[in-house]
Amino acid sequence: MEPIIQMSHIDKTFKVLKRREGIKGSILDLFSREHTLLQAVNDVSLDIMPGEMVGYLGPNGAGKSTTIKMMTGVLEPTKGDILVNGRVPYENRTKNAQDIGVVFGQRTQLWWALPVIESFKILKDIYRIPDRVYKDNLEYYDELVGAGQLYHKAVREMSLGQRTLCDILAAFLHNPKVVFMDEPTIGLDVSMKSKIRTLVSNLNQSKGTTVILTTHDMGDVDALCKRIVIIDKGTVIYDNEIEHLRKYFGAYRTVKFKFKANRKDTKGMVAHEADEIRALLAYKFPEAETLQVTQEEQWVQLLINEEEARMMDVIHSVMEQKEIVDMNLQEISTEKVIQKIYEGGVL
Amino acid sequence: MTRVKKYLSLVRGSILEGLVFRTSLIVSIIGNLLYLIIIYFLWKAIFDSSPTDVVNGMTFYDTMIYLVLASAMFQFMDTFVVWAIGRDYQSGQIVEYLVKPMDYQAYIFFAGIGNSIVAFFITFLPTFIIIYFVTHGSIVLGMNLVFFAISLICSIVVNFCVDFFVGTICLYTQSIWGVNIMKEIVVGLLSGATVPLAFFPEKFRMVVDFLPFQAIYHSPLRILTDQKMTGADYADVLGMQLLWIVVTLLISKLFWKKSVRKMMVNGG
Repeated sequence: MEPIIQMSHIDKTFKVLKRREGIKGSILDLFSREHTLLQAVNDVSLDIMPGEMVGYLGPNGAGKSTTIKMMTGVLEPTKGDILVNGRVPYENRTKNAQDIGVVFGQRTQLWWALPVIESFKILKDIYRIPDRVYKDNLEYYDELVGAGQLYHKAVREMSLGQRTLCDILAAFLHNPKVVFMDEPTIGLDVSMKSKIRTLVSNLNQSKGTTVILTTHDMGDVDALCKRIVIIDKGTVIYDNEIEHLRKYFGAYRTVKFKFKANRKDTKGMVAHEADEIRALLAYKFPEAETLQVTQEEQWVQLLINEEEARMMDVIHSVMEQKEIVDMNLQEISTEKVIQKIYEGGVL
Repeated sequence: MTRVKKYLSLVRGSILEGLVFRTSLIVSIIGNLLYLIIIYFLWKAIFDSSPTDVVNGMTFYDTMIYLVLASAMFQFMDTFVVWAIGRDYQSGQIVEYLVKPMDYQAYIFFAGIGNSIVAFFITFLPTFIIIYFVTHGSIVLGMNLVFFAISLICSIVVNFCVDFFVGTICLYTQSIWGVNIMKEIVVGLLSGATVPLAFFPEKFRMVVDFLPFQAIYHSPLRILTDQKMTGADYADVLGMQLLWIVVTLLISKLFWKKSVRKMMVNGG
């Protein structure tokens, strides 16, 4: 099978105005301008197969959006070759647009003042979607996430989550071959995130749509993607199966506890509690050598390696001793993953 | 047919949108009334201080009819295209349009035209009917209405192309307000919207005739108010408008194309 997206040795350099400091500098800027070159993407090569769901990760300013924009044809690469659906996107932007769908988180393509169904009708005509396909899709959406009750609601009256959901539905409406999603789950709550994950994974499976997903949230890629590509400072530093990465991260879990307070001096107490827990766990799990207990403001934080001690057992023994008011299982952040990759061990 | 459908769809959407914002329409009607009061007293003072009743071939009556209709036209001609483009660019929203299988210029035009249609029926038509009755038929209703309608459509297109060109300038200036004010003054003056072109000095008038702006307000208003126009005159006015459509469309399209290229290379 031919890859649906081919990028080879792509560079993208921007010319950025160098601004001088202060009032004097600003006045000087009016007369002479200096530009610096900023390399946003550096020698990126990627092949993506039809039907694949690829998580594209990286910290802010890593070049994720720039790459997406080059794939959609909005930006032209400075160097290198790019093919999407067998076309050069920046040369055939409008043609390419017919076969792709794009969701930019925090932006919307929906008509603000109108019920969402009106935006869908306009999209139907813009993309020339056959009546049959259009109707089937609307029904399918309703079945998947109960979108039917949103169709007649004005976009400006929607919550961010509902709007994002509708934006994703809009991007899939014309059955595109590839859908690009640039941080679609940004700012959403847990239940909406999981709804969106279900939706995207169902759409990918039932329609065979290739999905490129950029995100900060490891949870998103964890739930959706088999393959992840990590980019930092414009360079791809990791491109492999997520399972491969999970081996290194799956073992570590961070869990935080808050206990019932019975003294005014909470700070001293938390420190005291952390000591107690440390002693307790050292006694109960003598083989857990890397188990760390630290204090973080009101919380007692544990870092557990599951190969040494099972997390559930640890939580259980803590619960037997203490009255837990609040508990928090933390997700691994992209930043941590990248740090780990740089430190070696993963590649 | 399917090609036309997407444009009709956008027009339909923008009509719906125009109807949602009816409060803003009412506010703009009130604003327009205030403007009319000002020009009434201004022009009354001008005519009072003149020794004759007819200045530059126009009576006070003619002038008022002309200016009232011009300001009513302004209500539906101004679709804030410059602001739309400038803001789309600054906020980055423009990518949403660039990833659509559709020309941005066509999108903006048809997605704005619905507002004009709504404003036409809510502000221009009532104003026109009032003027017609108040002036006891100094506007002749006949074939000139058909020519007026054609001319009005041409005006909208020329006006849009000028706006689109100016809006594209915002991609370079990073600022919208100043550029837009500049455009409003230039277009208002040179199109005959603020002062009838008949009042311009001869030489200045000749310059204005070679600019596209008079095709926006002066042409349709002349057709509507000038009762001495012959068939050849109509053909002349409409022909000029068509010419300006071609010229402004071409220039604005080329400028946009060039600017998008620049944006694709250098980033937004």
